[in-house]
Amino acid sequence: MPRFQLSNSTSVPNHNYEWSYEYYDDEEPVSFEGLKAHRYSIVIGFWVGLAVFVIFMFFVLTLLTKTGAPHPEAAEPYEKRMRLTSCADGLGRQRETDGRTGLSRPLLEESRSLFHCYINEEEREGGRAATDAGALTHGRSGIGNSRGQVEEVGLVVQNMVLESRAEREAALLAHFNIPNFVNSELNSALGDEDLLLGDPPIIMEEARPRCTHHIID
Amino acid sequence: MNPSAESPSSIHTDCAEVQVPGQVFLVIAVASLSENLLVIVAVIKNKNLHSPMYCFICNLAVFNTISSFSKALENILLLFKDAGRLNSRGPFELKIDDIMDSLLCMCFLGSIFSILAIAVDRYISIFHALRYHMLMTMRRVLIILFTIWVLCGTSGALMVGFFEAATVKIFFIVLFFTALLLILLLYVHMFLLARHHANRIASMPGAQAQHRKSGLRGALTLTILIGVFVACWAPFSLHLLIMMICPENPYCECYRSLFQLHVVLLVSHAVIDPAIYAFRSVELRNTYKKMLLSSASRICKRCA
Repeated sequence: MPRFQLSNSTSVPNHNYEWSYEYYDDEEPVSFEGLKAHRYSIVIGFWVGLAVFVIFMFFVLTLLTKTGAPHPEAAEPYEKRMRLTSCADGLGRQRETDGRTGLSRPLLEESRSLFHCYINEEEREGGRAATDAGALTHGRSGIGNSRGQVEEVGLVVQNMVLESRAEREAALLAHFNIPNFVNSELNSALGDEDLLLGDPPIIMEEARPRCTHHIID
Repeated sequence: MNPSAESPSSIHTDCAEVQVPGQVFLVIAVASLSENLLVIVAVIKNKNLHSPMYCFICNLAVFNTISSFSKALENILLLFKDAGRLNSRGPFELKIDDIMDSLLCMCFLGSIFSILAIAVDRYISIFHALRYHMLMTMRRVLIILFTIWVLCGTSGALMVGFFEAATVKIFFIVLFFTALLLILLLYVHMFLLARHHANRIASMPGAQAQHRKSGLRGALTLTILIGVFVACWAPFSLHLLIMMICPENPYCECYRSLFQLHVVLLVSHAVIDPAIYAFRSVELRNTYKKMLLSSASRICKRCA
């Protein structure tokens, strides 16, 4: 901001103006005198706070890992899973003979048939799936029981493949390596939480439109 | 800045600005450029990776590439200026500086939006698995990407043009906090679902003990993802906040003196991003192996 001083004698206009610019530093230099705390206290406080936040988040997530109680209906979904694995078993045996071709056509056919097998199993299930659908779909029961079953099947299919990573041969996993889809991470040695952070799991595009229309309509 | 106007006693208690040598920026920018270019090339070459998720990862890599390229260019021009070949006050140089700053701004905004898009895409693929391909068609993905680019381009130009206004800084800070909150919510919800399913599997007879180890691994991955995001973006956002709130407080002055370190953190986020998002995918790693093998075999054919 310019500051100018008029000369005292106004009768003679001799234009004694003095211009000078004021910088904020000149007028109010940031005074470092008498600081109570260390000068980098904001910096230190920020980084300590950040470290505490990250470590706290890690411990919370780890505690969630450790204290996950077994689900009360553990027996019943186990039976359902065994029934559903029979679908995968049957098809897996069928496809083992074909070998791992990697062609899209046979894989899609099989995923379609696998999906139909699961849907049939679910329909045979009847009303028993109500509680499980509610638990697995996290309260989306407003959509309808059948829809919940379909979504539950989707999630159970995810579980299936999680399980089969440990138990089944890689041929069954290759079954889900449908080209042009997000590849399943599950045939790698990553943990099942990396399911979230790798690729999305099994998405069966060709099978789904027909099946969901069949179920929802 | 006029050092002679400062009182002598304040000189040695002043928080002098910490200068980061230009070579550090150049090295980080070149590393980030090569990594992200690799990601882009791999996603384009492999037809299996032409899916919504990889489109978003590739988009993030494109933003990181442009930001590291403009940062490298800026540092090269600074080297020229130090060598005396450029006039730092000339109109042409100021214009170039503005263009590079707006590109950087656009890319920073773009990376935040891309990270958000990746998180939302993963969320939809987990919680709406069966409707995923109806919700995320390639057409919608292209529309989303186009919107992100237009938004970031205009915001970048506006932010650099009107940087003095407080609105720009408030916008950036609000965007950062919103993105952080959303990412936390989405990923923690996904993590909880995964834990729920893992516990159900573990409750079955014959479950292995690897369940706990995989849980720790998932917690670690999530912590790294969110921790890196916060560690790279929060210092810069706090810097903007402090510039607005307390320009004259000595404590704030000491925080602001570390500005170049905070910019180093921002740029290093572009280096770490591929490791967190892209290179975790098995398909992408296989693409690299195939590319390496094919180029190695081509070299061998020429030698033989």
